[in-house]
Amino acid sequence: MRIPGLCVAVAIALAWASSADASPEDLFGWGPRSPAMGGTGAAASYGADAAYTNPALLSLVHHNVLTLGFSGATFDLHADGAGLPGRVSVIPAKGYVVGAEVPIPFGGILRDRIAVGMAFYTPTDALLRGNILYPETPEYALLADRAQSLAVRIGAGVDVGYGIRVGVGVATLAELVGGIDVINTAGTVGAHVDDQLVAKYAPTVGLAYDLPFDRAPDGSSRWRIGATWRGKLDATFGVNIDASKLSTLNLPVFNIAGVAQYDPEELSVEVAHVRDGWTLAAGITWKHWSAYPGVFEPTIICPADQDCNALTPPVVAYSDTIVPRVGAEKLFALPRHVALRARAGFFLEPTPVPGTLPSSQAYDQTTQALVDVPTRFFDTTRYVFSLGGGVDLGDYGPFTVDFWGQYHLLASTTVSTCAGGSCSPDPGPAKLSGNVLAYGLLAGVRF
Amino acid sequence: MSLTGRREGGKRRAWILFVSSCLPVSILLSSEDARANPLDAFGFGSRETAMGGAVAADVSDFSAGYYNPAGLAKARGFELSIGYFRADHSLSMNGMNSGVDPVKGIVGGAVVPGKIYGLPFAVGVGLNLPDDRLTRVRALAQDQPRWELYDNRNQRLWFGVNAAISPFPWLQIGGGVTFMAATLATLDISGHIDLIEPTDSSLRHQVQADLKSVTYPDFGARVEVTKSFALALVYRGQFGLDLNVAANVKAGVGAGAAGDLTTLALALHDDTIDSFLPQQVVLGGSWKLTDDLRTNLDVTWVNWGAYVPPVSKLETQLSAPLPPGTTLPGGVMAPTTPAPTVILPISIHDTFVPHVGVEWRALTRPTWEGFVRGGYEYDRSPIGAQTGATNYVDRDRHAFSAGLGVRLLAPGKVLPGDVRFDVHGQLSVLPTETTTKTDPSDLVGDYTAGGHIWNVGLMATVGF
Repeated sequence: MRIPGLCVAVAIALAWASSADASPEDLFGWGPRSPAMGGTGAAASYGADAAYTNPALLSLVHHNVLTLGFSGATFDLHADGAGLPGRVSVIPAKGYVVGAEVPIPFGGILRDRIAVGMAFYTPTDALLRGNILYPETPEYALLADRAQSLAVRIGAGVDVGYGIRVGVGVATLAELVGGIDVINTAGTVGAHVDDQLVAKYAPTVGLAYDLPFDRAPDGSSRWRIGATWRGKLDATFGVNIDASKLSTLNLPVFNIAGVAQYDPEELSVEVAHVRDGWTLAAGITWKHWSAYPGVFEPTIICPADQDCNALTPPVVAYSDTIVPRVGAEKLFALPRHVALRARAGFFLEPTPVPGTLPSSQAYDQTTQALVDVPTRFFDTTRYVFSLGGGVDLGDYGPFTVDFWGQYHLLASTTVSTCAGGSCSPDPGPAKLSGNVLAYGLLAGVRF
Repeated sequence: MSLTGRREGGKRRAWILFVSSCLPVSILLSSEDARANPLDAFGFGSRETAMGGAVAADVSDFSAGYYNPAGLAKARGFELSIGYFRADHSLSMNGMNSGVDPVKGIVGGAVVPGKIYGLPFAVGVGLNLPDDRLTRVRALAQDQPRWELYDNRNQRLWFGVNAAISPFPWLQIGGGVTFMAATLATLDISGHIDLIEPTDSSLRHQVQADLKSVTYPDFGARVEVTKSFALALVYRGQFGLDLNVAANVKAGVGAGAAGDLTTLALALHDDTIDSFLPQQVVLGGSWKLTDDLRTNLDVTWVNWGAYVPPVSKLETQLSAPLPPGTTLPGGVMAPTTPAPTVILPISIHDTFVPHVGVEWRALTRPTWEGFVRGGYEYDRSPIGAQTGATNYVDRDRHAFSAGLGVRLLAPGKVLPGDVRFDVHGQLSVLPTETTTKTDPSDLVGDYTAGGHIWNVGLMATVGF
């Protein structure tokens, strides 16, 4: 492809890309390669992918590379049953992807041993979306809204020697905290506003080891194991609205708060094998969902020294999950150092949401009393199939182009939504199903 | 021209076409994350602050992302920089310290230069990370006296990623798009409000909140007129941090945990724009008088006339109908919607800000060099006399700065380039003046305001 044509293709793709993700890297992976290889990469990554998958593997970087592109996802999610809409309306996700990989040109014993990388994703619609809906509103909050979030990850990897590589990184999000005090001065209303965006950080630590047997003719190991630990990354939305001075009414202070984004603590372990142009990777990821507090917070905060009868949100018993992944890449070497790569992969993402959800409480203005309502916080296990490919123009130019696609098949699941309560009318079970299509196109330039 | 040369020329043209057409897109993608009021007021990097910020034509390190992205293309090698600065305000009104929060945080960045088809190309990352918060939106009543340009505007993250190329040895161009987050939120509250024990109210809420990106462009050019003289032109876009919150309360109102006397419908819509940064154009020059002495002059046009003050625009609708002749518990009458605050226009005008700086390489040794720097900046206050109901307090600012630098040359095998240490100090003097109100019955009355600001910092840079 001619260079201007490449640029135009990227620009056009950027213009129409219309879906994308939110803790997008946790849902779909990040980078030119990893999403096409079933989200593997803790042992098999190289380049900017490693800023997310395993920063230790950034130490494989030996050229400055800037990667630009887009990714997106469309959702076809269903919830069928009494009082349910059938198809659940979800805004597609879309966003821009930027990656950078830079070797640090130390000399002496540190020569060609240290590199840094950056993984960046920004949704086109919103940097961060926090939809915290009434519990009875059907939503796939762990799937759709999590795909609307800025992602910023920076890492550094070091080649220690003896086949050992270590890396560290950090991911960051912003959360909103503050308050709006409504004031009424002699019949004229105004407000004091004090809101802050506060950074939240989560560390990443990576380790990789080239096993000392079965070496290729150039001396490199054909087997590598890798492990990556990622800390919890969450962002809340919390605004107190004090309208008690607005009028003669003795109004409480409204605590408008909830967890807008949440990535659980994770540990990935993987083994990769390289032979005859093939790269094969398999691994598992443990996700600590049982620590997830849920999205809801109470609207009225009870003072510490007081007993209150304010409503408390439902508590869902989330459970930890283990995600198995496999991925493969085949390299086709062409003349003049042109390289084509084909990729495929699969992973199974179990849901952390239990099959039985507790009921929630609400005040019914018709009966003027508290009633039980169903909790429709939906999620299902996903079977994810991925494909992708890439081309390195070699001597024709310092450019690469990669693409990937993922098909997420949601396992048909039946969920009880009013356990422990007496919802009226009885909502019956909710039948969940659907699919997600995710995709990405990225171009890289070496300089 | 040989076939090889023609082909190479074609590649160069292709690369220029690629860069010129893709650079805006790439910068949009790589982009920057935030905005620069603290950089306007207190500089970015110790060398640059010590030189009064007069570096538009004389910058090639991480701070070029702010001062002139084109300068990145002059970078000699990969560089990493990190430092810290702190600015403490001693601003007072009527002899009382105004308690303006200090501005402090980590400063740093990296420059990654390279070449494609022989053309110098570089990407730079710059960061000003405040200790306490990324951004803050704070809106006060318009009649409450506050240091309008210092009270909150400098509490802000700045994170920029820029790119630059040098298509000819005498020309560098660069730019980027910065984006920050604005908040757009709709809140719904429903249930039952207990007027006797408000904390017993049976209320729930739902939130639909987006942090929206707000983008603005920065770009610059640098022209090397002669070996010892360069000119620069920089544009920085306009920016405002928006907080737009709509809250809707629809709840039964009663005395006790259940039973409604009436239904309250309350709608609040608050829209606040804070941390407004006006667009700017910088024209700069740099003269290398001798091998060891350089002097710079920048003039910045600041479009303060477009300024939006951070005053909350709150609209309310309140309804809690009661049958005629009845009252709420405690004899409380049904509330009525209060009138909105009328926001008075702010008197503010564009300004031209001169910056001058000088750098002297005072010591040259085989393994190290020493630098002495100085600078001055004059910020004429853009805000008109506050003789009416508003109290946006501001004064002219004279900023005197000085700094020292040490550059270690090839300090070891591991560090084949150089290592630099720079420190700066800046004293901003805001002369004390008296504001006289036209209305003798003004609730705030006449006041005297002035003070000074100390800004100190240090940087360490490793160049490869």
